Amino acid sequence: MGTGFVIGVLGVLILSHAAYSTIQYRALLKITEEEFSGPPINVIYLFPMEFFVVLELIFGLILCVWAALTVPGKFLSILPDSDENRVVALSDNMDFMMFNHRGRAFPSEINMKLKSL
Amino acid sequence: MAGHDDSGASEKKSSEAINDLPTFNAENMQNNMRVIYYSRTFMSIIGGFIAGIWGFTSLMGFIFYFLIMAITSVGLTAKAGFTIHSYFDSWNRIILDGFLGGLMSFVLFWTFSYDIVHIF
Repeated sequence: MGTGFVIGVLGVLILSHAAYSTIQYRALLKITEEEFSGPPINVIYLFPMEFFVVLELIFGLILCVWAALTVPGKFLSILPDSDENRVVALSDNMDFMMFNHRGRAFPSEINMKLKSL
Repeated sequence: MAGHDDSGASEKKSSEAINDLPTFNAENMQNNMRVIYYSRTFMSIIGGFIAGIWGFTSLMGFIFYFLIMAITSVGLTAKAGFTIHSYFDSWNRIILDGFLGGLMSFVLFWTFSYDIVHIF
């Protein structure tokens, strides 16, 4: 949980840096009065940093995907017969629980397996 | 007793069907749904932020949103270890649930970051 959170913050920081680089790039384009077609990937000859922005975006996305999958918590098993779902203690209101009802007339799976033998 | 056995045998199928009703731990099921919801919401926000920085407009942005949601679905399936029957009761939960729920957040952060980066 701790490291996932740090990775998420790192991803957001990288994305913010990419946003700042794009803002600077747009200011540069305004000076040279060209049109904006995308983040600096087609200006590779100008600065190697411009191509870096797209890489930053993709890398930040990967980090954020990793954080989104690890930070919210683990998946818990929903099967009643898995090892971590064992009922190890009955609840306290045993006075209100009765077991002498009609449910014992239903054939349970254990009885069916015994009968099929 | 023979009649009772026959009705028991024919009842076997219906009671097996009854026993096959989802008897699962509802609290853990809720926890898993909450994990999916958080993951999708966070990815919608981050996807919106990236779409604004990248300068996507109109259709490309929505295509990017569905791409982000598909990546999130694959990631969640991988997180569940590809055996989702022990964590969810159907495939639709992990693939389709909450697919459009993050769309509003995506559009909000998309316009927000687009304004910050490209207009102001």
